[in-house]
Amino acid sequence: MARISTMACMLALAVSLAGCGEDYPDRDTNTRFVALHARVRHLDPAIVNDTTSASVAGNIFDRLYQYKYLVRPAELQPGIAAAMPEVSDDGLVYTIRLREDVFFHDDACFPDGKGRQVVAQDFVYSWKRIADVTNASPNYSFIEGRIKGFDEFRKYTHERSDAGEPIDYATPVAGLEALDDHTLQITLTAPWPSILYAIEHLPFTPMPREAVEHYGKRIINVAVGTGPYKLERWDQGSRIVLVRNENYRHDPYPSEGEPGDKEKGLLADAGKPMPFIDRVEFEIIEEDQPYWLTFDKGLIDSAGIPKDTFSNVVGAGQKLKPKWAKRGIELIIYDYPATEWLAFNMKDPVVGKNLALRQAISLAIDREDFIELFRNGRGTPAVGPTHPMISGGNDYLHSPYHRYDVEAAKAKLKEAEAFHGGPLPELAFTMGGTDTSARQYAEWVERSVEKIGLDVKIDLMDWPTQQEQVDNAALQFWRYGWHADYADPENYMFLYYSPNHAPGPNSTNYANPEFDKLFERFVTTPHGPQRTALHHQMEQLVVDDMPAVFTMYSIAYVLRHPWLENYKPHPIMWGTLKYQKVNVAKRWEMLTGKTLEE
Amino acid sequence: MTTVPTQPDLADGPAEVVKGRSLWHDAWRRFRRKKMAMISLAVIVVYVIVALLVATGLLAGDWNEEVGPRYQAPSADHWFGTDIFGRSTLRMTLYSAKTSLTVALFASVISICIGVPMGAMAGYFGGKVDEFIVWLYSVLASIPGLLLILAFAFVLRDVTVFGYSLQGMPAIYLALGLTGWVYLCRLIRGEVMKHRSRDYVTAARSYGCSQKRIILKHIVPNVTHLILIDFSLRFVGYIHAEVILSYLGLGPVKDPSWGKMIDAAKLELQRGHWWELTAATLAIFFISVALNIASDALRDALDPKLKT
Repeated sequence: MARISTMACMLALAVSLAGCGEDYPDRDTNTRFVALHARVRHLDPAIVNDTTSASVAGNIFDRLYQYKYLVRPAELQPGIAAAMPEVSDDGLVYTIRLREDVFFHDDACFPDGKGRQVVAQDFVYSWKRIADVTNASPNYSFIEGRIKGFDEFRKYTHERSDAGEPIDYATPVAGLEALDDHTLQITLTAPWPSILYAIEHLPFTPMPREAVEHYGKRIINVAVGTGPYKLERWDQGSRIVLVRNENYRHDPYPSEGEPGDKEKGLLADAGKPMPFIDRVEFEIIEEDQPYWLTFDKGLIDSAGIPKDTFSNVVGAGQKLKPKWAKRGIELIIYDYPATEWLAFNMKDPVVGKNLALRQAISLAIDREDFIELFRNGRGTPAVGPTHPMISGGNDYLHSPYHRYDVEAAKAKLKEAEAFHGGPLPELAFTMGGTDTSARQYAEWVERSVEKIGLDVKIDLMDWPTQQEQVDNAALQFWRYGWHADYADPENYMFLYYSPNHAPGPNSTNYANPEFDKLFERFVTTPHGPQRTALHHQMEQLVVDDMPAVFTMYSIAYVLRHPWLENYKPHPIMWGTLKYQKVNVAKRWEMLTGKTLEE
Repeated sequence: MTTVPTQPDLADGPAEVVKGRSLWHDAWRRFRRKKMAMISLAVIVVYVIVALLVATGLLAGDWNEEVGPRYQAPSADHWFGTDIFGRSTLRMTLYSAKTSLTVALFASVISICIGVPMGAMAGYFGGKVDEFIVWLYSVLASIPGLLLILAFAFVLRDVTVFGYSLQGMPAIYLALGLTGWVYLCRLIRGEVMKHRSRDYVTAARSYGCSQKRIILKHIVPNVTHLILIDFSLRFVGYIHAEVILSYLGLGPVKDPSWGKMIDAAKLELQRGHWWELTAATLAIFFISVALNIASDALRDALDPKLKT
């Protein structure tokens, strides 16, 4: 009997221990748990152009420059570069010294699997990959026409590709030169004041030639970088695991922040080597409800707030409701430089040619209703593409059509019909998403537009499929948005520059010679009032020509559990995991009611 | 001795015994005896009437209209409250009856149109024809049903036939119909195999009837009761399948459906909005229970072994 009791006790203990582990697997280890709301498309930095992929890849690939983590507005500092660049007096030549303690991740592509030192030639090689047409990089537009000899190199890759011949990466590019192993020199075709913002962007990270040659076409699914984390595992569509890069360069936690950061404990680790977290697990949860429940249960350390959960979580005065505040959860609200819009394909014979039709649709869209219904008020009505956080406000824009007025919309629609020469055909509205929220969003657009007498057909497709269709200019009218890659209006304006037509970033295929001329002047003009004036003129042209109905400037609401430390969301920077810290003991105690020793 | 009630002229025994008590008459008499079956039949008739009224525009044609504030709880004005766009949940529930019954009807007809001829040919001709049909349905049967339906629905929604897009409802009819004939085909094949060696078939053959005539005029009428039972069971299965497809975002694009309502409601439950889910669930519950009871009773009524 005693024996049975002992066995029963042991069994009960085993079950209870197993139970804890099953409920909170690995939550007692130094692992950060993150949920992604969409699938990661690929991790090759040359072709990454979506925020979900960038949020993972940003932690694997280091760049020459990086944003200061705690300082706002966003400001750059050296990353792999040893210092800020030396710039020639005419603003055309940038000389960048590299740090000598930067190594690629250990990987099978290197002899003995040991990551080698990063040299200037790696940047020359990686940037050429962006220009190489066979890689179909959507990021070439960032540097198109900017660096001497780059466009010629692209042309060369085109010719070789057409001839079915291999591309020789030894072909020189006049404006991109490795002066020695640790000095990179960039020569521009014209002054480009935003160059450092642009090369902070993910595609400009160094990629080892060995990896590209070793993995071939599989390179889009592997990741060999120099960043604080290495890719350990990628289960397509469900999970990604990163582990700490033991050979990461010396990179101390910042000691510079904004007023109030010190009081929040954000400077407590100043000077300590990063990263702090050993392992990061990304789980892909596309549906809102499981996403939220995962956070509620403490299985992920931070999360956004789904629309149907918002009223349960955030109360009056945009404060967290006591139920959540009591658990030590913190609500962080910050400007997020994303603008949303309903895009028109300007090459489409119906919507592209008919300004009155686009104006009628704009008048039929109740932006405030949209923001309240789908974003719980987390945004402000948009007038133009540039987020006010980047432009410092949008009072300079004037548009009589960015308001809600059904009667005016109906009158405009009559003009549109007269222009079309009869009743307008059914429009096809495409939504990148097939979940409930996406369907409701599409229905809302349909209802808004049908109110003025237009017929709309809804087409729901997953996000990668929509991206593909946008790249092929195959859509007519769809929901889209843009999150700034860097803190400069140029990053919004280049979305309307005609040489950037789809598959480039000009997804609406907008073309206006006057805009193009202004843009070409704008990009070479140093920061100052003249540049600002050019930006305002360009943006006004876009607002007048209306290749898109701008709906909302985003404001982000993020929650963090109290065990997640050094957490300050950055509006632009990708790859902030190295700064963050998980208080494992606190997490385990809050989740299980036990100490780690127990 | 074999009784062939639908072929009294070829069957043994006096014709007077059979007169006035055909299989159908007898079955109806048996069906009527069951109170629950009659109640279920009445429920089904109500759903059919609702669907017909919706189809003719006499009922719930204005389901897309905003009738009140968003997410209004049930009240005297709106019995099942309103949804995210202030539309009446009751009207959407009623309209969805048409969506579901239409899908179930079309999909069942497609399945029967494929399953019965294939089963009859396989059973009657045997040999290579039988081998081919068995191979075909075995391949289909080896793929998990829901996956196959989802794959068909995904593919068909991008297909255009004579300029007419199959996206939405047609994709669902076809996806369900083209994947759902296997069981019926097997059933008919087995039954026809039994019938092809019976006396009445031999007699028809010796009279010089063509094979087509033997199958269509002699054998198929003798397996009609199986088709009817299968139809009643299949119908409720397709209603459920439509709900699942709609829930997964592959359902009708514009028209409301119970699946879409449940899909929307699953998020709204977090806000405490229970009425949309309740309305759709009740609607599905009543038609499912009614169809299940009625098909059970129908099977009992048509099964000659239970005949008294």
